[in-house]
Amino acid sequence: MGKEYWRSLDELADTPEFRALVENEFPGLSEELLSPRTRRAFLKIMGASLGAAGLASCRWPKELILPFAHRPEGRTPGVPQQYATAMELGGAAVGLLVTSFDGRPIKIEGNPLHPTSKGTATALAQASLLELYDPDRSRQPIRREGAQELVQSWDDFTTFAGSHFASLRAVRGKGLAVLSEESSSPSLARLRARFSEVFPEGSWYKWEPVTRDSEREGTALLFGAPYRPHYRLDAADVIVCLDADPLFDHPAALMHARDFAARRRAEDGTMNRLYAVEPMVSLTGAMADHRLAAASRDVATVAANLVLELLALRVPFAEDNRALAAELESARGRTPASPMIAAAARDLANSRGKGLVLAGPRQPARVHTLACLANLALGNVGTTVGFTPEPEGARPLHADGIKGLTTASGEGRVATLLVLGGNPAYDAPADVGFGAALARVGTSIHLSGYDDETSHLCRWHVPRAHYLETWGDVRAWDGTVSVQQPLIEALYGGRSPIELLALVLGEATTNGHEIVRYTLSEFTKAVDFEVTWRRTLHDGVLAGSARGTVRPQPVSHGPLGLKGEAPNAVPGEGTSGSVEVVFCPDARVHDGRFANNAWLQELSDPLTKITWDNAASLSPATAAAVGVKHGDVIRLKRAGRELEVAAYVMPGQADGTAVLPLGYGRTAAGKVGTGVGFDAYVLRTSDALHFAGAVTVEKTGRSHTLACTHDHYAIDTVGFEERGKRIGALVREGTLAEYLTNPAFARERFEEHVSLPLFNPQKYSGEHQWGMSIDLSVCIGCNACVVACQAENNTPVVGKEQVVRGREMHWIRVDRYFEGPPESPGIVFQPLACQHCENAPCEEVCPVGATLHSDEGLNEQVYNRCVGTRYCSNNCPYKVRRFNFFNYFKSVPEVQKMAFNPNVTVRGRGVMEKCTFCVQRIEAVKIAAGNDRRPIRDGEIVPACAQTCPTQAIVFGDLKDPGSRVSRLHAHQRSYGILGELDTRPRNLYLARLRNPSPELEEPT
Amino acid sequence: MSTVPLPLLEAAEDPRTRPPLVLGDNDFASVTDKVCGIVERPRPPIAWYIAFAISSALTALLVAMLGYLFLAGIGVWGLNIPVGWGFDITNFVFWVGIGHAGTLISAILFLFRQKWRTGINRFAEAMTIFAVICAGMFPAIHTGRPWFDYWLFPYPNQMQVWPNFRSPLIWDVFAVSTYFTVSLMFWYTGMIPDLATLRDRATTRLRRIVYGVLSLGWRGSGRHWHRYERVYLLLAALATPLVLSVHSVVSFDFAVSQLPGWHSTIFPPYFVAGAIFSGFAMVLTLLIPVRSFFHLEELITTRHLENMAKITLATGLIVAYSYGIEFFMAWYSGNPYEKFTLANRALGPYAWAFWIVLFCNVVVPQALWFKRPRTTPWMLVGISILINVGMWFERFVIIVTSLSRDFIPSSWGYYKPTWVELCTLAGSFGLFLTLFLLFLRFGPMIAMAEIKSVMPAAGLERGPHRGHGQYWGEIPHQHERRQEEGQP
Repeated sequence: MGKEYWRSLDELADTPEFRALVENEFPGLSEELLSPRTRRAFLKIMGASLGAAGLASCRWPKELILPFAHRPEGRTPGVPQQYATAMELGGAAVGLLVTSFDGRPIKIEGNPLHPTSKGTATALAQASLLELYDPDRSRQPIRREGAQELVQSWDDFTTFAGSHFASLRAVRGKGLAVLSEESSSPSLARLRARFSEVFPEGSWYKWEPVTRDSEREGTALLFGAPYRPHYRLDAADVIVCLDADPLFDHPAALMHARDFAARRRAEDGTMNRLYAVEPMVSLTGAMADHRLAAASRDVATVAANLVLELLALRVPFAEDNRALAAELESARGRTPASPMIAAAARDLANSRGKGLVLAGPRQPARVHTLACLANLALGNVGTTVGFTPEPEGARPLHADGIKGLTTASGEGRVATLLVLGGNPAYDAPADVGFGAALARVGTSIHLSGYDDETSHLCRWHVPRAHYLETWGDVRAWDGTVSVQQPLIEALYGGRSPIELLALVLGEATTNGHEIVRYTLSEFTKAVDFEVTWRRTLHDGVLAGSARGTVRPQPVSHGPLGLKGEAPNAVPGEGTSGSVEVVFCPDARVHDGRFANNAWLQELSDPLTKITWDNAASLSPATAAAVGVKHGDVIRLKRAGRELEVAAYVMPGQADGTAVLPLGYGRTAAGKVGTGVGFDAYVLRTSDALHFAGAVTVEKTGRSHTLACTHDHYAIDTVGFEERGKRIGALVREGTLAEYLTNPAFARERFEEHVSLPLFNPQKYSGEHQWGMSIDLSVCIGCNACVVACQAENNTPVVGKEQVVRGREMHWIRVDRYFEGPPESPGIVFQPLACQHCENAPCEEVCPVGATLHSDEGLNEQVYNRCVGTRYCSNNCPYKVRRFNFFNYFKSVPEVQKMAFNPNVTVRGRGVMEKCTFCVQRIEAVKIAAGNDRRPIRDGEIVPACAQTCPTQAIVFGDLKDPGSRVSRLHAHQRSYGILGELDTRPRNLYLARLRNPSPELEEPT
Repeated sequence: MSTVPLPLLEAAEDPRTRPPLVLGDNDFASVTDKVCGIVERPRPPIAWYIAFAISSALTALLVAMLGYLFLAGIGVWGLNIPVGWGFDITNFVFWVGIGHAGTLISAILFLFRQKWRTGINRFAEAMTIFAVICAGMFPAIHTGRPWFDYWLFPYPNQMQVWPNFRSPLIWDVFAVSTYFTVSLMFWYTGMIPDLATLRDRATTRLRRIVYGVLSLGWRGSGRHWHRYERVYLLLAALATPLVLSVHSVVSFDFAVSQLPGWHSTIFPPYFVAGAIFSGFAMVLTLLIPVRSFFHLEELITTRHLENMAKITLATGLIVAYSYGIEFFMAWYSGNPYEKFTLANRALGPYAWAFWIVLFCNVVVPQALWFKRPRTTPWMLVGISILINVGMWFERFVIIVTSLSRDFIPSSWGYYKPTWVELCTLAGSFGLFLTLFLLFLRFGPMIAMAEIKSVMPAAGLERGPHRGHGQYWGEIPHQHERRQEEGQP
């Protein structure tokens, strides 16, 4: 569709009249037009310029509007179009495909052509759609004079900036500083080079709160220059993660998850084996075959132990690393050698070239060095890990960047500060005093989507356009270039960083489109640039732009500094003690930038299942030592800094640690995110960005309500024991060895006593019989499906109070269970949506017949007929039905209604709803296939959850077609249905989860 | 005419003779005076006003709560997923249960010729009607979209859509509405002779008109009595199965589902016994204060109370047995879900409610084995109130504990009522008491015509008359007279 579209545009755009028309699909959207009061006027114009809005992805900036007298070829109102773009987070992009419905972006999916996303998208990327329509985003530049806030127009700002920066140009940029967030944009890099020319005395600093700088340090230590490791998890038989979460917390996590999953299905009888050592429980740790909980500072010694074990196994480390062995030897014994590490070392040694050691971003440089050394020695470089030179290799570390800026400001060297994105006043290290530094700056300008904490301290706040509204260019983790194209005219008239920078530099054009085009033409140096440009826009990636991997040579390095660290102090008995605090990005709000995103706030944390909050996770033993339980508020004190935060008891976490997700406790996030959770940044200093020891913890005696979607309350003994008994049958799990001996173990292990039906079972005569299969072996619990479903099906956000009541509305939930001892539990995930039972208990009890089966086997909910007795939910053994206790859409801001999927009914108060298998997608494909008079192809219908699943754990299709993927998976030996003894005959079957534990570590049974 | 020897009071203790059902120096006229006197007082006693003020205030609270509910949505209650039913259906089942005693006393005891019922049946029937009104309200308001409640009725419509006849909720609609209709007819029919008495004694024009209309032109002719007796008998026969069916059907709401703790074949008899248990307890709770307040001890004797206490004890034992069977079946069936549900009731987060149930419904009624509690009104009131509390909690435990923890542990939840639910419950008591107080003020609360038939003065022990409830076929002496007159 998209392809044809671009071609037709090409033709059309060549005619001057049409160009004139298209270049102006939006009239000058003045500010008052966009204010809520005149929303109608806005929508009227939107309607009038429907077609043009569709062409928004090729926005040419001119001011004119004309309705289409003739419908442009290839464009049908009401038929959604998809455009490729990309979202950048922390300096790495994921390729996206955005569905636009009559000019409104309504759904974000992964770009199948993008090497990282391959059609899948993270929860964050998908939820960024809601931010586009966030009414709290700032609409106009704001000038602050003392306590005064003056709302200004863009013209005011342009006038000011024009004269201000012209005078700065005259003094060669003396006193000018720029603070930008991490960005991979080639245009920004080009403009930055121009910056150095225009303002040779100006300085440029960078700050990003969630960084992988230790990776740079570690590789620089070993190779002399920073390199970026790229992992090929599909090529690895043995993976050892040292406080690393490659499956979730990594710029290329989507690719890693997909590659990892490829080796977990045991189709060829083999699986990879994953070892994890970590203080917190990460999603990677949850997937690990063996997991060792170790405090952050102990991970280094664990890594040392691992290398020593490898040395003992005569793994050929380079000659000049003999000194290393001596140093490692001195560090050995600090943590007792774990049998798991020995087993991991043996596995690694036995699969040279097919193993992989990963170090996580929260580990210091030396751990990365050790991981690289191990990979080099094991011959993994080139097979499972490749290196590319870090772009901007000379950049100082982020902590040094922000410190440099505050020092310069303190010395009075900064008169003008331009803050390009980011929110340093909120997320800068607590010790650098960024706020004070900012106050000393005469002219400070903050470009930001929200009038946030930093904006409040700056002289000027300038609205930043959302990435779906602007032109931009970004690079993926592997360097692949994508062009961001606007899907819609900037709703609130913001500008992108490159546009602002061009304005500051006094460039000839401040037009994003032209800037990006120019950068790309320089970048590609293509002769026929127009073709490349259009292909890049269409595909979403610039072919061949990934950075080639190199084989860096180790240089000799000094001691790694493994000595001289005291072991962790263990918290004492009673009310206080000392713990190590670990700062990690939150799974939902990341570093805090998504705090005002209601979809993400309501999303439950993959592991804690907390919504609308963060909490300090403590291991059960540590919590017991401190004397707190779930929800109690603890006080953490570190070098004069103090944080009060709710505690969450997390089985499997390392004793003596408190894990603090960042990004909460915002004070100026917007209506949704302000005041939600606890601000962990107050304890985070530049010398301890990732973890800090010797933090005293004491209980306050107060408690805080945590809205969890699981375990809504502290569970009692009866419930705890029963839960333990039931998990085994719900999430069936076996080892690879078990599976190879008896492939049907999942079905046979649990004898099901199915009661014989009294009546003849219902026959389903439809042309198709829809079914789903979910592979628990590869589900990593990342929640991408939950957001996909929410966006696709207009699922309401209900807020913390309602979640506490137990009224969350997600149609698909990811159940998380712990099994085994609380200090080292197994962790399993199980996505659960409507099972579309063939013998559905809900259908029999509905008094008005509002839930019925289609002849294609869908359990359908007729919203119009539902009177809301809730009997269906009471009788649903899976409890996947969701009830609209209130009209949850009543308070949805008008602008956010533009995010609704028009193909899905918005449900009113008092009706039941639930997963439909995305019936709207089924029907769309059926209609398309019907029009073409062809059968529906297997895999052509993809529900939102299955579409976005990074590991492709969810497969949907026609069970009547014996060759379809879902039919084959339903027939698979690992396939089983849950609660089969109730004779519900679910259409959704699970594939049993497989683990591949090391035979030598298996517990004697 | 021979004089009727009035039995001595001590005869009550003489096992050879049936004790009298009306004590004291009462004849027909004094009974009429006593019962009608309550209605005919120019103004009710001050206590009535106080009670009425409280109950109507609670009714107003109910109206306010319903208004809030309809405006805001079901979310003002504490329900959630998994607990889709809480106070709403608990109250429904509770009130339906209360509504059982009246028809049981009127119909079943009538058919079993338990003459002592005449003293209390009117009272109990009125209570039934009002309780069923309260009960019927809850299913109507518990839906998410109450304005579409009529979809639960099978009516021909342009949508060509019928209700789902497989759903127990539809059966509920039929069962409760039928029960209400028949109970109302039964109550009203039985009241006609007494309404006529009030009409005849009316001193104001308004009363004459109102009671005149209500008594449907009753003149007390033999034909009227004939028709009356026949209708009453038929209605009793019709109502009898309904007493059993309505709560059986209510129990199907649970038994037909597959939720552990609900899915149980013992539910229909168990619920019926529980309903009678709670119904009798409620009759006792209300009757004893009213009896003493209006000085009706001669008409509603200690023997009446004792008989009711005995029925309460008997049904209480059935209920206790059912509890035992539930636990036995949970163990005997080997169903792990069922086992857990029962364990969870006893030891889980709602254990406190479970132990209240066990104490109130199993332990407390055992006191009724002893004569002293059975014959001491204040003790009976205390026991009855505890039973009522226990029976309310029984329904709460069945509904809420089963729902809160079903099959999949991840979806387990906890339900806490909101203030709206608490006020709605209080308001339903207000509605019930308001209706009841109005009845006490304006209706004949004791079946005068019937109670006269069991007085020795009626002489119905000795032919040719037969008393109320002992009649079938034609009136014998009428038949004889017709024969005498040479008619066929």
